[in-house]
Amino acid sequence: MAVLEVSALEKTFVRGFLRRRTDAVRGISLKVEAGEIFGFLGPNGAGKTTTIKMLMGLIFPTKGTATVLGQPAGDRRAKMRVGYLPENPYFYDYLSVGELLDMVGRLYGLDGTERARRSKRLISRVGLDHAGSRPLRAYSKGMMQRAGLAQALMGDPDLVVLDEPMSGLDPLGRKEVRDLILSLKAEGKTVFFCTHILADATRLCDRVGIVVKGRLRDVGPLGRLLDPRVESVDVVWEHDDEDARKKLGAHEGEHLATSEGNVLTVPSREAADHFLAAVIGAGGRIRQVVPHRQGLEDLFVSEAAKGDDE
Amino acid sequence: MSGTGSSAGRLWAIALNTFREAVRNRVLFVLAMFAVALMGFSLILGELSLHEEVRVIKDLGLAGISLFSVIIALFLGVNLLSKELDRKTVYFVVPKPLHRWEFLLGKYLGLAVTMSALVVSMSLTLWAFVAFQGGSHGITLVRAETLVVLEILLLIAVAMLFSSFSSPYLSAMFTGALWIIGRNQAELAAFATGKKMGGTFAGDLLHTIATVLPDFHAFYVSGADLGGTNVSIHESFISWGYVASVAGYAGAYAAACLALAVVLFARRDLT
Repeated sequence: MAVLEVSALEKTFVRGFLRRRTDAVRGISLKVEAGEIFGFLGPNGAGKTTTIKMLMGLIFPTKGTATVLGQPAGDRRAKMRVGYLPENPYFYDYLSVGELLDMVGRLYGLDGTERARRSKRLISRVGLDHAGSRPLRAYSKGMMQRAGLAQALMGDPDLVVLDEPMSGLDPLGRKEVRDLILSLKAEGKTVFFCTHILADATRLCDRVGIVVKGRLRDVGPLGRLLDPRVESVDVVWEHDDEDARKKLGAHEGEHLATSEGNVLTVPSREAADHFLAAVIGAGGRIRQVVPHRQGLEDLFVSEAAKGDDE
Repeated sequence: MSGTGSSAGRLWAIALNTFREAVRNRVLFVLAMFAVALMGFSLILGELSLHEEVRVIKDLGLAGISLFSVIIALFLGVNLLSKELDRKTVYFVVPKPLHRWEFLLGKYLGLAVTMSALVVSMSLTLWAFVAFQGGSHGITLVRAETLVVLEILLLIAVAMLFSSFSSPYLSAMFTGALWIIGRNQAELAAFATGKKMGGTFAGDLLHTIATVLPDFHAFYVSGADLGGTNVSIHESFISWGYVASVAGYAGAYAAACLALAVVLFARRDLT
């Protein structure tokens, strides 16, 4: 059974005195299976957060259906098994993280002992031991994000929905969140998250969905979505002899002198093989060979650049 | 052990948090201190009177408790939901396993507890001031203070109704206007049925409006004319029977406001 299922979901906002209509989500359909990490990707204003808000019961679809863990989106039985981190989370800033988790634990119907046990474990898990008694208003953005992750996990959910979980985190914090997401998957939980940081999506996701202008452009495993063909190859080489360097520098391709060595970029594997043989034949050294395939960023940019009807 | 919990447990979780928010809000304390300062000022005014110190303290004290409770309730009541939306805290609470009506009623319950505690605290302060002047607080004043609590409970429900669909500024305007009209309902009804307007369509309309709008005048009756009798906290005051009937009115009216607020909030997009 799909953990999350969205069918022909649409959301139109009607705003202002003139009743101006904005189509934020235009017929999105997708399924997220149990135990997978699903990345929901798209540029700003693509409709990612609007879709997530419909799944969480914060706003209501104009058309279409959304079910979460077999229940209609927003149903309390589904919410009981979901943990949610909103984008740029704001919490009651007069509370400490312990008080926040206690409140969330009460909403999940946990007794006092269990609330205290989970709260202590989660504060430690997200690295906020040192700031446990401080009011949230004194937290940095990164610390707030960690508190947000802790409250999302307080109910020991089967499905974790994270809206921009890496936002505001330094590289170390991002790595910790990546590790946390992977550990959630290892625990058998399903993770649905949206992010702008494509490197994180590449490292984490079993499948991704790319949403542009309210429409789902592509969905599937990264290996299937990305073109496996080599687009170019970088060869980093060096030679002690000036004449040999000049001769090798005349090979067809794009040459660049860097602190790493001389770099030749060629458009195919065959051209790279030919150049490698030439360098070795001339007594030079190969320091690195880097083949370039289509990355998530390239796919993302090409999808975003397409028109509405493509 | 984990469990699904009860509706009462979830209501209490929201109420407890609302109470915490209110008591950690400095504005609340500043306004409460104004009420206490007014009671302190009444000591000075009492000295200027001709052996009527206790009477002056009771009058000014009760007026202070009533006025500042209304201001605080209005301030906190209209912000109860809008602050959740403005600060986006609603985005993390509503997706938790609770119904929207539990969230709304939990907020109401929290503020009701806060305001009741505040009125009790101010009443105890008034009791101390009266005792300091050698007077007796008495059960009559307790009945008047109970009416203040009932008025506040109704006012918060009205504020919550408006804030379930409009901005805090509009909610404050609507609720404030209703309170002013409600406090003058007797005059309004008398005007509608008086010589000039009595029997006319405008008079009937005005009388209907005065009847439908919340009757806040019923909660502050000291010095007013009730059924041809002038009531006062110093002489003949209302009975517990009157307090009970007003409590029934406040409860029914507040329940209607909250039910409407629940319906409006249930279908609202929390963008």
